[in-house]
Formats: sequence, structure tokens, C-alpha cells
Amino acid sequence: MADVVTEMSPLDGRAGSGADTAVIVEHPHLSKINLRGDSGDQAFMDAVADAVGAAPPVEANTVMTAGKHSILWLSPDEWLVVTPEGKQGDMEVALAGTLEGQHVSIVDGTDARTTIRLHGADSRNVLMKGCPLDLHPRIFGPGQCAQSILAKADVLIHQLDDTPTYDIYVLYSFSRYLWDWLADAAKGFS
Amino acid sequence: MAKYSVFSLVRNALSYHENWQRAWRSPDPKPEYDILVIGGGGHGLATAHYLAKEHGINNVAVIEKGWLGGGNTARNTTIVRSNYLWDESAAIYEHSLKLWEGLSQDLNFNVMFSQRGVMNLAHNLHDWRELNRRVHAIRLNGVDSEILSAAQVKAEAPILNVSPDSRYPIIGASMQRRGGTARHDAVAWGYARAADQRGVDIIQNCEVTGFVINNGRVEGVETTRGPIKAKRVGVAVAGHSSVLADMAGFRMPVESNPLQALVSDPIKPVLDCVVMSSAVHVYISQSDRGEFVIGAGSDLHVSYSQRGSFEIIEGIMGALCELVPMVSRMKMMRQWGGVVDVTPDRSPIVGKTPVEGLFINCGWGTGGFKGTPGSGHAFAATLAAGEPNDMAGPFSLDRFRTGFLIDEAGAAAVAH
Amino acid sequence: MFLIDCPYCGPRQQTEFHCHGEAHIARPKDPDAISDVEWADYLFNRSNTKGVFYERWVHNHGCRRWFNLARDTVSDRILAVYRMGEKPPRVKK
Ligand SMILES: Cc1cc2nc3c(=O)[nH]c(=O)nc-3n(C[C@H](O)[C@H](O)[C@H](O)COP(=O)(O)OP(=O)(O)OC[C@H]3O[C@@H](n4cnc5c(N)ncnc54)[C@H](O)[C@@H]3O)c2cc1C
Ligand SMILES: [Zn+2]
Repeated sequence: MADVVTEMSPLDGRAGSGADTAVIVEHPHLSKINLRGDSGDQAFMDAVADAVGAAPPVEANTVMTAGKHSILWLSPDEWLVVTPEGKQGDMEVALAGTLEGQHVSIVDGTDARTTIRLHGADSRNVLMKGCPLDLHPRIFGPGQCAQSILAKADVLIHQLDDTPTYDIYVLYSFSRYLWDWLADAAKGFS
Repeated sequence: MAKYSVFSLVRNALSYHENWQRAWRSPDPKPEYDILVIGGGGHGLATAHYLAKEHGINNVAVIEKGWLGGGNTARNTTIVRSNYLWDESAAIYEHSLKLWEGLSQDLNFNVMFSQRGVMNLAHNLHDWRELNRRVHAIRLNGVDSEILSAAQVKAEAPILNVSPDSRYPIIGASMQRRGGTARHDAVAWGYARAADQRGVDIIQNCEVTGFVINNGRVEGVETTRGPIKAKRVGVAVAGHSSVLADMAGFRMPVESNPLQALVSDPIKPVLDCVVMSSAVHVYISQSDRGEFVIGAGSDLHVSYSQRGSFEIIEGIMGALCELVPMVSRMKMMRQWGGVVDVTPDRSPIVGKTPVEGLFINCGWGTGGFKGTPGSGHAFAATLAAGEPNDMAGPFSLDRFRTGFLIDEAGAAAVAH
Repeated sequence: MFLIDCPYCGPRQQTEFHCHGEAHIARPKDPDAISDVEWADYLFNRSNTKGVFYERWVHNHGCRRWFNLARDTVSDRILAVYRMGEKPPRVKK
């Protein structure tokens, strides 16, 4: 029996793509833990903070960052805890430990979605070709996230900085399609 | 009333076509009628025509709040076919199709009924099995229906993309050759003229605002042009059925949803049949003017605004580009919406209401243009006798209590 | 096209949502005890109001939460958004 598990992404082999001002690269294997609990319960908030380094954001469409970890708001009782690759086992174990005995749900969704990073001055223009979100800086800026649709695919979009840079979380099965769509949408920008 | 013919055309040419008689009168409402039909769409007008023609009842008025056929009759994509699954539906839709076949002669009005064939595509194994089941069931009911291979589909409609590499490859189709299209306005006008000729009063710009009901029996209606008495009242207001039912004090299993359609720039003839696909969800035909007439799904929310959502149009166009790649560079010229009256089993309601003397004909939803003659015929018989006839019987409002539903959701999978 | 103010995520385009019809239809507590007419009324009859209408939507491409809308079905104007379990607000067209 094989004792080495090689992590694979559906986007393996796709080099960076897009345009100079809208670069597309994959950030595979970020650990993504779906967490559900009651943000009104201080014990829950404290336990998450113990494990991640910050409590889950209560404000809609925002991201709480603690060092290398981020917690993305998904709904009033649901978050995505994202941590650098290779750590998924640790974070899941850590959360399970501090939340022991509480009425919560901790599900490792690392291999459900991959992350496509879109970076450059035109990346907002690229997204606007296929996403109904209002991405104007007045409405949507760094530290914000939103679940929506991009070219008919369900996505979670996280804006990282003012460049702008976006992390787009998409299901494995949609990722090649979305990658190709992004590469195509980026054509013409330079 | 002068008959339309070659001779009348020549005669009127001599006076530069300036002396054509009006196609129907515009009378003031009388205080009382034997039968009132509410709604001057195709269904209401056909009902009046058959009441006069088949049952000799001509003390009849059709009351329309706007102009004739300004509702769904003028907004639909005119697909006519009778390939429905269940026996009850086969009976009424096939009866309707037979009436269509003689309609221009009957009305002395060219309704431009064109039996160019209606093709329903299959894109996967499930579609294919379902389609085969339907074709056999339809044939057992004596209705024409045949199965086409992908190659035959291509031969019938060369503009279709039958490549096995497409996202939803076409693997075959069913075809009803007797199906086709007709001219929507002409249907309203033809029925109106024929009914008027037999003495029916057609009253436009007259909105029904209430019913006069005594001891559970309807005695007339209130309108924006005063009260009108009647022994029997038939309601045929499509998307407004719940509104009228509410006036009469009962509830309906109907939801009024927006349904849209659009037409392209006119181009030379390239498609001589109707093509429908439930899987990619679009249908298309080419009008005599050369425009592609395109439609698909309805919105799921209730609305009387006669406008649908943009996402529906986007979906329609996406599906069409897949099916007929040549449209990807065509311009769409016009888009509009209607208010369709959808029932839980996607079958119409024709018959009695809880109010005595008040009858209803509705629920034709996304697909009642084809039913216009059959519906009018059955509703006229029902109104004349005060009892539903055999054809209308199964489509009673009461079926939602008894549970004898007529599930045609599959037949209407593409709203048409 | 509606711009729907999700009570949890804020204003989003209609494409992200799905409509599930009339709101505030209570399932009969004891179906066996009621008549076929009452059961049919619950199951099939709908108000289908022309005017102010209360309906359920779900933000299925967003937070996946259900909520209610009050909407004028003639103008399509959205008059109020409120959460599941809340009483329908009194609104004017
Ligand atoms: C976009 C679209 C595409 C369609 N495509 C097809 C198709 O391809 N094939 C097909 O078979 N069917 C199709 N249909 C469905 C078809 O149009 C309808 O089922 C059919 O036309 C209904 O006819 P009707 O006479 O009952 O209704 P309508 O033509 O809507 O007539 C009802 C009339 O009642 C009047 N009215 C309402 N309230 C009152 C009142 N209070 N007082 C007086 N009058 C009142 C209205 O003004 C209206 O004129 C389509 C519908 C739409 C909207
Ligand atoms: Zn939301």
C-alpha cells in the first residue's frame, strides 16, 4: 500500500496566465475548514480565537486575519478558516480541541475547492465581466469577502489588497472551466 | 358582413382600400346578456364564437379591459402542437389541433396556420428514454409523432449543432409534423370578426371590477362602464384569474409568473420547423418575416408587471448559442413578457367554480395558444349546458381536491 | 431584474437568489383531522396577489439563508425585507 499521498489539484500543470495587469495563479492546497457555530456564544468565540488566533468576524462579508490564518465570513453562523498549505490536519485538530463539547460543526473542505489568485490593476475589470457583485472600492475593498457567482460558477471572493488582488475559491469540478474563463476574460488587458 | 375573398379584394382595390368595412363593431354594453365572457384574448373570443356558431347562443358579450388579444395572445411564440402525454390532454389538445387545421376556412380569416413540424430534442439518455416513452404514448392516442436520429435532425434543421463534441450533444428528437405555428393577432381578430358577425358584442376598454352574486349565484358583473347582468358568466383572463376569483370570493391553485420571448434581426429563411430543447432550455422558430422567434423558461416569482428577469434572457441566449451557433453574432431586436397562469400540474382548468353560474377557463400557463380553439370549443359547450362537457370534465377545479391531477409538467418542460 | 437586500449579506443581484413562492402558509397541525377541501387549499391554492405580496426567497449563491420579501407585484418594487419567523411588516405600495 502506498504510504505517500500526493496532493493533486485539477489545475496542476497550468502555469500562470492572464495579462500583465491581471495575472492568474493557482494557490492550491490551502487548508479550508468550514466552521459553524453561534457567534453570540462567547465560549465559541473564545475557543475559535484560541485555535486560530482571532475570533470569527461577526460583520457580514468581512475577513479576520491572524498571522497566516484568515477567517472568512460565509453566513451569520458559518465561516471558512483558511490556513497555509500543509497545515490542514493541525488546524482541524486544534479547532476540535478548543471547541470540544460545544455544539459546532468543523468540516475540512480543503479538497473541495481550490484557490485562484487574480492580481493586477485590471483584475477588478476582469471580475466585473462575469460577476454580479458591486466590486467598486467604495463597496468592496481589502479585507472583504463575498460568495457570489462568477461566469455562472459559485465562488467565494476575497479581496486581499488595493492592487487589487483577489483570492477566488471555486469547487474543483468548476476550476478548470473558471480558469479558462478568467484567462479568456483577461485577454485584451495589458 | 362582407366575406373576405379574391373578389372583395379586387372590389376594394378600386376604391384604394379605403372603404373596407370594420372587422367588428364597437357597441356599448347592453344591460343584460345570456352569457358574458370576461377576457378578450384568444380563449374568450373563441368561446364566444363557438357559443354563437355551435350552440346558437348569440346574446353574448366579450368584455375586455384593454384591447383584443393584448394579453398573452399577442405575446406568445405561437407554437401549436398536440403531443401531450396523458389521455385527457391528448383529447383536448388534439381536438384543438384539428380545429386549427380548418380554422382559416371556418373564420374566413387567414390565421396563417403553418404545419411546419415541431421537433423536441433529446440530449442525453434520460431525455431519449423519456422521449421514446412519450412518442409511444402519444401514438397510442392516435396523435402523430415520430422519432428522428441525430442525422435526421440535421437534415431537417441544418443550422443545429449536432456535433457529438458539444456540451449537450443532440442524440435525436421527436417530431410532430402536424404541429407548427400560427399568426397570434390573426387568431384574436379572426375569432372576434366571426363572433361579431353572429351577433356577439365585443366590448373593449371595459374592465370587470366585481361580481354581483346573490345566494351563491352569479347575476352579473360590475364594470368600468357600468353593471351588466348575465345568466352565466365565463372567465377567461389567463394571468388575472386569481384576481377575478378573489372578486368572486374563492381561491385558485394558480400562480402568475412572467414569461418572456424575444426576436432577432430578420434573416433569409434558414429554419422551416420549430425546434425545442428542454435540456438546454430554449426553443426557436423562424417567422415569415425572417426573424427568429425565441423563448424558454418563466421566472418563478409572481408578477403582473409583464416583465421578466434579465438572467432568463441570458440563459436563453446561452442555450441558443450552444444549439444554433450561427446566432452568436445576430442581434436581438425586441423582447417582451406576459403574465402566465401556472397550475400545480401544468394543466388547464376548465369548468365550474364554487359560485353557481360562474365558470372559469384558465391555467393554460406557458402553453395555451395552441389550445385556443379547443379551449374555446369546450368552454362554449360548458357555458351553453351549464355543465362541463366530456373534454372539459377532467380539467375541473375540483381535481385539486380529489387528487386526479393531470401531470403535464414534462410536456411543458420548455415553457412555450 | 431585482436588487434584493439580503438581510444577512446586503444588496445583491437577483441572480444570486431563488424565489420559493408565497410566504406564511402554515402547514395544518393535524392533517388527518381536516377535510380534503382544507388540505387542497393548503397544498395548492395560493393568494397570487396583484399588489402587495409576501414571498420567500433564499440566497442560494450567497449565505444560503431563507428570508421574506414584501413586493408590489404590479411594479415589482420591493417594499420590505424581513427574516424568517418575523411578522410581515405592514407596507404600502
Ligand atoms: C412569452 C410567451 C410565450 C408563449 N408561447 C406560447 C407558445 O409558443 N405556444 C402556446 O401554445 N402558448 C404560448 N404561450 C401561452 C399563451 O400565450 C397563453 O396560454 C394563451 O394566449 C392564453 O390566452 P387567453 O386568451 O386565455 O389569455 P390572454 O390573451 O392573456 O387574454 C386574457 C384577457 O383578459 C383580459 N382581462 C384581464 N382582467 C380583466 C378584467 N378584470 N376585465 C376584463 N378583461 C380582463 C386581459 O386584458 C387579456 O386581454 C406563451 C405565453 C407567453 C407570455
Ligand atoms: Zn445572503
